[in-house]
Amino acid sequence: MHREEWPLRQGRPCVQIVLALVLNGHPFPRILLADTGAGSQTSGFELILDEHDCVLCGGNPLAPVTLGGAYIGSFPTYLLPVQIPALGFAMNLRVVGVPSVPAPFDGLACFSFLNRFHYGNFGNSASFGLES
Amino acid sequence: MSVAEDVQTLNRELARRINQEARSNSQSPYANKLVGIANGQVVVVTENWDDLAQSLRKVEPNPARTFAIEASRDYDEVHEIWGSA
Repeated sequence: MHREEWPLRQGRPCVQIVLALVLNGHPFPRILLADTGAGSQTSGFELILDEHDCVLCGGNPLAPVTLGGAYIGSFPTYLLPVQIPALGFAMNLRVVGVPSVPAPFDGLACFSFLNRFHYGNFGNSASFGLES
Repeated sequence: MSVAEDVQTLNRELARRINQEARSNSQSPYANKLVGIANGQVVVVTENWDDLAQSLRKVEPNPARTFAIEASRDYDEVHEIWGSA
């Protein structure tokens, strides 16, 4: 069993994923707000990122999805290779591309992504973690 | 319209027709499958996103010339993002 923990950022839970730049393959780490209120288990997407990052990292376009709430309307989606090296996690995930993301984060880790793992503070109120 | 835009339009229109067929006919070979399209043609039908990604990238390295769809999904369904943005 592997666990990775990240300190809260402005008091909010976050996770770090690693993408790869399509131009040179260099790692492109992104810090995401861990948001169980983003989508549901059946939403069909797992992350929300700046659309520019999706293109920079060579995402394959998928059919757009319709969002409501904090983001309203139809948004493009992409299939992107996503890693969390410390957990041995490497999969192609469905990612929604949006024009802007909530600072100071690079995007949102949605419920269906977090729910792949055991998640929480694991007894440390200053951090948030994932366990696989 | 550029060649790249032409290809994207072709891909999206093919995807739209495939999803329409899959949603109206549960016996469609595409029903509930992941369908990958490159340069206006179906190049992979699978049930696994990793397989889909690998096949698409092998056939067409330029992502802008590819498209994929989860056939039978209702893409008009609204997914709520509760208040973080």
